[in-house]
Amino acid sequence: MANLIDIIVPDVGGEEVEVIELCVAVGETVDAEASIVTVESDKASMDIPCTEPGIIKSLKVKVGDKIKQGDVLGQMESGAAAPEPEASAPAESPAQAPEANAPESDVAKAETSKSEAPAKSAPASSGVKTIEVTVPDIGDATEVDIIELLVAVGDTVEPEDGLITLETDKATMDVPAPEAGKVVSLAVKVGDKVSKGSLVLTLEVAGESSVESDSSLADTNAAESVIATPPSSTDSAPSAPASAPTPKAPPVPHHPSAGDKVNKGKVHASPSVRRLAREFGVDLTQVQGSGRKNRVQKDDVQSFVKYELSRPKMNPGSSAGSGNTGGGLQVLAQPKVDFAKFGEIEEVPLTRIQKLSGPNLHRNWVTIPHVTQFDEADITDLESFRKEQNAIAEKRKLGVKITPLVFMMKAVADALKEYPAFNSSLSESGESLIMKKYYHIGIAVDTPGGLMVPVVRDVDKKGIMEISRELMEISAKARDGKLKSADMQGSCFTISSLGGIGGTAFTPIVNAPDVAILGVSKSEMKPKWNGKDFDPRLMLPLSLSYDHRVIDGALAARFTVHVSGALSDLRRILL
Amino acid sequence: MSEIKTQLVVLGAGPGGYSAAFRAADLGIDTIIIDARETLGGVCLNVGCIPSKALLHVAKVIQEAKHLSAHGVTFGEPTFDLDKIRGWKDSVVEQLTKGLSGMSKMRKVKHVQGYGKFTGPNTIEVEGKDGKTTITFDNAVIAAGSEPVSLPFVPKDERVMDSTGALEMRDIPGKMLVLGGGIIGLEMGTVYHALGSKIDVVEFLDQLMPAADKDIVKMYMKTIKNKFNTMLETKVTGIEAKDDGLYVTFEGKQAPAEPVRYDRVLVAVGRKPNGSLVAAEKAGVTVTDRGFIDVDKQMRTNVANIFAIGDLVGQPMLAHKAAHEGHVAAEVIAGKKHYFDPKCIPSVAYTEPEVAWVGVTEKEAIEQGLNYEVATFPWAASGRAIACAATDGLTKMIFEKDTGRVIGGAIVGTNAGEMLGEIGLAIEMGADAEDIALTIHAHPTLNESIGLAAELFEGSITDMPNPKAKKK
Repeated sequence: MANLIDIIVPDVGGEEVEVIELCVAVGETVDAEASIVTVESDKASMDIPCTEPGIIKSLKVKVGDKIKQGDVLGQMESGAAAPEPEASAPAESPAQAPEANAPESDVAKAETSKSEAPAKSAPASSGVKTIEVTVPDIGDATEVDIIELLVAVGDTVEPEDGLITLETDKATMDVPAPEAGKVVSLAVKVGDKVSKGSLVLTLEVAGESSVESDSSLADTNAAESVIATPPSSTDSAPSAPASAPTPKAPPVPHHPSAGDKVNKGKVHASPSVRRLAREFGVDLTQVQGSGRKNRVQKDDVQSFVKYELSRPKMNPGSSAGSGNTGGGLQVLAQPKVDFAKFGEIEEVPLTRIQKLSGPNLHRNWVTIPHVTQFDEADITDLESFRKEQNAIAEKRKLGVKITPLVFMMKAVADALKEYPAFNSSLSESGESLIMKKYYHIGIAVDTPGGLMVPVVRDVDKKGIMEISRELMEISAKARDGKLKSADMQGSCFTISSLGGIGGTAFTPIVNAPDVAILGVSKSEMKPKWNGKDFDPRLMLPLSLSYDHRVIDGALAARFTVHVSGALSDLRRILL
Repeated sequence: MSEIKTQLVVLGAGPGGYSAAFRAADLGIDTIIIDARETLGGVCLNVGCIPSKALLHVAKVIQEAKHLSAHGVTFGEPTFDLDKIRGWKDSVVEQLTKGLSGMSKMRKVKHVQGYGKFTGPNTIEVEGKDGKTTITFDNAVIAAGSEPVSLPFVPKDERVMDSTGALEMRDIPGKMLVLGGGIIGLEMGTVYHALGSKIDVVEFLDQLMPAADKDIVKMYMKTIKNKFNTMLETKVTGIEAKDDGLYVTFEGKQAPAEPVRYDRVLVAVGRKPNGSLVAAEKAGVTVTDRGFIDVDKQMRTNVANIFAIGDLVGQPMLAHKAAHEGHVAAEVIAGKKHYFDPKCIPSVAYTEPEVAWVGVTEKEAIEQGLNYEVATFPWAASGRAIACAATDGLTKMIFEKDTGRVIGGAIVGTNAGEMLGEIGLAIEMGADAEDIALTIHAHPTLNESIGLAAELFEGSITDMPNPKAKKK
């Protein structure tokens, strides 16, 4: 009985993961598949389940520990000791067993969503019977317009053929035929308003037809069993049809102030403060009072309004800010969609980096008026020079590989010197520009956890080799998740290179407080007219997004021309 | 028949109506005010609050002169010249209505005299002694007020009065019945008693001034027990007018067995709203069965351009409430985003002594399940009250127990109405007991009792035994 076994960490994706939650305590009885701990990698968090029911005897890890595949989490006494009935297991292990639980319910949903219009059948004399086809459950919508009749009396229909088309204010949908048959009579016409249960038409079906498939026989049986119970039975039928195009409830506009209340109880605010709050539509329970005993004063209401106007609007509680809200803008909220209705799904939490960078990206995208300038740089000579140098470096075993990015950084640093507006930031008040006398360039690095932007400092003062070495180090650090926040601060300008992957152009989002970002796509051999004939030249696509409040179009064009000139002939940087 | 076009029509020139009209005019809105009376001011100024206060002033001085004999100063028995008393009252009214009329002219608010009835959502017809006037308006404020409730079994007899009749002071009845133990009846009873009438008060409920707390009314009852004969939980079942008087039959707990003869009967059983007298339905405005008109917090009726304020939008039927509502209506019409959003509305009975309360009463606190604590300072412990022979009084404060926040207060005693302002301000400002206790109140004043009640709650009182003192 007392069979002590180790709880081993299963395959967690080949890397060290951090324990972020202990789901059980020593002495607890667990079922198979119950979560022991929750771990988080930089990609996702997951629960580690136990393999069989039993009692937890010891736990060797604590929150914050790093564990990997094969590590021992603790020990449990397995086997018959588990007194909990099996039935409770699914309820207790919802997260980590999607393949066990979710698909079942998905299937169930899929089935209900496919089920057909309710039909009352009335046995006819010999082998032929007629059934009444009614409007299925169409969600909350009632009094829905019929906009089209798809069949006429005498038509023969197959199962699932559309009979009529309904239009709600949100969607149109067809009412399908529950089974094959012939339309005997139509009970509706175009323009009629119908609701769930309204009679649509009468269908004559071949009750005893030997060619009927099993499934349609089952359907018929079902229909008969329905008629066998008293009249209102269609409504109470357990498999109440939920036809697939069921419209969802109308999107409810989200009121951003409906979030957590600062003042749970009564608000202290004098009549003049209350009047001011009313004028601005401020919910005083949300305002932190600065007066004695948290009294809300006029200043508090004013600064609350100021803050509400200036802060990046997001769904309170969702740091990603891209939830089902209007994002604080005066737009309709995203409608809620039950994706599981359309097929199998899996919900994966955003990575930590995504959670952090999402709101910033959103803010930058919404608050900065972006324009993107496209250009191409002829890097034929640059590439042959680079390859030469790499060959030499390899021979000398310098351990450095020069990438095209390094030259871009030098070219950008040079362009920043020429066009200092690009090396600026808007002051907090938005009234002035802060001009920087240093040239630190951020490099967007794709890491397993998400996008990170480490910064290479003083690019203008460093040589190609030095920058190459630094870039290699910093990229490696980024991929290993070892970047410190200091490594990612102080950039003047950002380069995002997707050249290694592909693409012709893209529109990067300015990395505020920078005022511009250079996107680099994959270089391509292109025929270029040299005056006499076409020359094959290696062209590098450049996409410069900039903050139009600071930089105007002509300046941006000059900047990309300067960068592309420098890349096509590096000697220009020396000038 | 004349026709006028205006931006705003205010129907009724009581405190609510004229406040709305004047405020609107000051905000640049072309305004016309309609009232049947020749003077502005409505019931309040003409036949309500103001004239009754003029008479109550007379009553108070008579009383005090009488009391002074106990302190060694004796005046002769007073003689009353009713015409002169009435003249004094009328002069007070005249002075105020003249003032209003002047302010109205200054603001270019035109007064159309007559009864106004809506004929559509933008038109109203006024029937006055100079004929009919049709006014086309953009916005309207219905401020038609209320009138005394009359009882079906009361005979038509000139000896039966309502509050308006009582203020006319035609004579000083030997024996008068006040039918209804509310504020209006008790105030008029106070006046007539001071002038020598014998007063009986009959009230159907178990308490005079039913809205106020029991302990407050008990203190008031103590002071009037020698003045009024009160019959609680008793109702009048019939009044028979005979040549020698009105014979009133009672039924209930304290009902006399036989009908009682009175020289006059004052019916003061409440007021009913005039919502159904203005043909509001022609404008599409919904009027309830009882004659009230429902409005939102901006005083807007169900018709967007028509507002309603004052007595006919609901209780309490008080001039100061109406005036504030009038301002809100005018400001909303002028495009301001204002709301009628008070935390409390004071009530004052200008009896002798006065009874005043504001915010939640203790019985409301119990009903609402509030966690409250009461601190009551008896005026017997007030130096000033003793010095003015006004010890029949108390100051009661109601605090939220956990926070000490003031949520209500009630005062019985001389000048209680004047003192109430501080408590109202405290409630609106969200003050708590500590704030009031730390505010230095002048000594010796009656008003000081509010600070002392707060000290009682705080446990810092020294003018009385301190129940919260640390025991040694």
